[in-house]
Amino acid sequence: MIQFLNLLINGVIEGLVVALPALAMTLVMGVNRFPNAATGDLMTTGAYTAVIIQTLGVSSLLGATVVAALGTAVISVISYELIFKKLARQPMIASLLAAIGLGFLLRSVISFFAGHDQRTFKVPLVRAWNFDGIRILPSDLNITAAALVCLLLVFLLLYRTSFGRQLRAVSDNPDLARASGIRARSLMIGLWLLVGIISAIGGVLLGMKAVVMPELGWDHLIPAFAAMVLGGIGSPVGAVLGALIMCVAQELSVPLLGPSYKLVLSFGVLALVLLVRPSGLMGRNELVR
Amino acid sequence: MNRRNLLKLSATSAALQMLPGLALAQTGGVFKVGTLCPVTGAGSPYGAGMQQAIRMAVDEINAAGGAGGFKIELFTEDSQTKPDAAVLAAKKLIEINKVQAILGTWASGVTLAVMPLTDAANIIQMNTSGAPAISNLDTKDLVWRYQATNDRFGQAFAEICKKNGYKRPATMAFNNASGLGNTQGFTKAWEAAGGKVVAHVTYEPNRPSYRSELQKILDAKPDVIVTGSYLPDSTIILREWFQSGVPVKWIMPGWAANPDLVKALGNEVCEGLISVDSVSNEKSASYAHFDALYKKATGKPGSTNVYAAMTYDMAIVMALAMEAAGPGATVARINAKIREVGNPGGTAVFTFAKGKALLAKKEKINYEGASSKLDFDQYGDVTPDFGVYVIEKGEFVRRDVVSI
Repeated sequence: MIQFLNLLINGVIEGLVVALPALAMTLVMGVNRFPNAATGDLMTTGAYTAVIIQTLGVSSLLGATVVAALGTAVISVISYELIFKKLARQPMIASLLAAIGLGFLLRSVISFFAGHDQRTFKVPLVRAWNFDGIRILPSDLNITAAALVCLLLVFLLLYRTSFGRQLRAVSDNPDLARASGIRARSLMIGLWLLVGIISAIGGVLLGMKAVVMPELGWDHLIPAFAAMVLGGIGSPVGAVLGALIMCVAQELSVPLLGPSYKLVLSFGVLALVLLVRPSGLMGRNELVR
Repeated sequence: MNRRNLLKLSATSAALQMLPGLALAQTGGVFKVGTLCPVTGAGSPYGAGMQQAIRMAVDEINAAGGAGGFKIELFTEDSQTKPDAAVLAAKKLIEINKVQAILGTWASGVTLAVMPLTDAANIIQMNTSGAPAISNLDTKDLVWRYQATNDRFGQAFAEICKKNGYKRPATMAFNNASGLGNTQGFTKAWEAAGGKVVAHVTYEPNRPSYRSELQKILDAKPDVIVTGSYLPDSTIILREWFQSGVPVKWIMPGWAANPDLVKALGNEVCEGLISVDSVSNEKSASYAHFDALYKKATGKPGSTNVYAAMTYDMAIVMALAMEAAGPGATVARINAKIREVGNPGGTAVFTFAKGKALLAKKEKINYEGASSKLDFDQYGDVTPDFGVYVIEKGEFVRRDVVSI
C-alpha cells in the first residue's frame, strides 16, 4: 500500500511536468493545425536561459524562470512570424518539417555555445518528509505547485477571458471566427507568447527533476505528444488528463513489469484508448482529419 | 594548449619525423605504425599525452637499435573522438601511409568503427576502450586492449564490497552494453564468492526521474548500491536518493563519479561515495621509467594521464613482439608473438632494451607494463589494477588499489 502510494505520487508529479509541453502542443495543434515538434527545444531554451541567468548572479530560481519564460516567449513569437505564418496555407507536413528543423536549429545553437556538459539549477537539496514510509520531497512539492499554478492561469486565460474565447472560436472554426470580426494577427502573437511561456516553465521544471542538457526537451517530446493524442488533439483539459493518466500508469506498472517495460505499458494505454475512442479522451471528431 | 598551437606542434612533429624516415627508407627495414589518439573532442584531456607517449616509446626503441631489424616510423592522426572522423583517418593511415599497426584509439565507439578496417587490412589494432563487444568482435585476434573491460570493473566492485564488509549489495544498470557489463560482471563475481545480490534494476536512459526504480532498490534494504551508470543519470539518481534520506553506500565507475558529479550535487550528497577507476602499474620499474620520460617530455607526472602509460606499453609490446618474431617478420607472425612477450612464463623485464637483450639470448621474457602487468587473455584484454577513490569534502581521495 505504502509502495503503491509512493508510486502514485511519482506518477502524478511526472504527469504534471509532462502536462505543460502537452498543453503547449495541443494549443498549436488546435489553432494552427500542426504538431509543433519544436516544443521540446523551446523547453530546452527555457531551461538553459534560466541556468544562464542563475550563473549571472540571480540566485532565485523563480526570478530566473520568469526571465527565461519571457525570453522563450519572444523566440516563440519570432519563430511564428518568420516561419509558421508563412506556411499557414501549405499542407500540415510543411509546418511539421519546419518545426523539426527549428528544433534542430535551437538545439545546435545551444550546444554550440553551452557545450554538451550537463548543467543543474542551484536549488538547495532538502531531505524528504517521511510519513510512515510515504516519502514526499519538498522539491517535488515546489514542482507540483509551479505546474498547478501555471495550468490554472492558462485555463483561466482560456476560459475566462476574451482572448481565450477568441482563441477557442478560431480553434473551432477559423472561417466563422474571421467572419465574426476576430483579428487573427494579435491573437496569434498572444498564442505563441503563451506557448513559449508554458514551454519554458515546463523546461525549467523538467530540468529541476533531471539535468539540463541540449537534448533535454527533445528526449521528452514523445511522451508529451502521446499525452496530447491520448487526451484528444486540440483539447487543453484532455492534454493534462492524458499526461497524468500516462505517467501514473507508467509508474504503477513498475512492480509488475519492471522499469524497462514501463514505456511499453504507457503506449499500451494509449493504443487501448484510441481503439475505444479514436478521437481521444476529450477530443472532437472534426479535428481528427 | 589551444587548438591552433596544437596543430602547429603536430605539423612540426610530422615534418620532423619525415627526415629520419627518409634516411631509414634507404637502409630498408622500416615498420610503419599509425597513431589515432583523441587529440580533440571528448578525449582531448588525454589524447595529446597518449600520442606523446607513443612517440617517446618509439624514440626509445629506435635508439636501442630498432626491433626485429626494423626501425619504427610513426604516422600520427587525430581521431577527434568521433567514429566518422576516425574512420577517415584510419583509411588514410592504411591506404596511403600503408601502416602495419594502428595504436591509441580511446573511445569504444571509435575502436568499434576502426576495427573492421584494420581487420580487413590484416593489421594490428591496439586500444584503450572498455566495451565488452570489442572482445567478441575481435575474430582474427588482431585487437589488443590495454584498458579494463566493463566486466573486470564489475569484478573490482565485488572485491571492494568484500574488503569493506558489505553484505547486501544491490545493482542499478543503465540499459546498454557498458552499464549492464559492469553490474553483470559484479553479480557473477559476487555470487561466485557465495554472496547474494538483493535487488537489481535496469533503467532506461533520458528519464526525468528514477524515483520508482530507486524505490524498488531501497525496498530490498541494501547496504551498498553498485552501478553501471553515466554522469547525467547518476546525478538524477543520487539527488533523489539523498532527498529520500535512506542511508546507503554507493560504488560507481570513475566515468560517472567524477568531479563534474560533485560540481552538480555538492559536497554533502557525494560524501563517502566510492569511485573506481583503473590505475597504472605504479609500483613497477617500468612505470618509474615511463614516468621519468613522460615528465621530461610533457612536464607533467605520468599519473596525470592513465591512458598515456597504456599507449606507451602498446609501442613497447609491439616492438618486443617484433624482436621475438625475428628479422623480416610479417604482421601475422609479430601479432602471434604478443602474448609470448607480455604474459607469464618468462623472465620479468621492465624496459625494451632489457627485453631485447634477453630475446637475443633466446630467452623467454614477460614484459611487465607501465600501465598494468598486461597478461593478455584469450580475447587480447589486459587486467589492470583499480584505484578506489572515496569522495571526502568534494575531493577524490585514493584509499586503496585493488588487483583482480
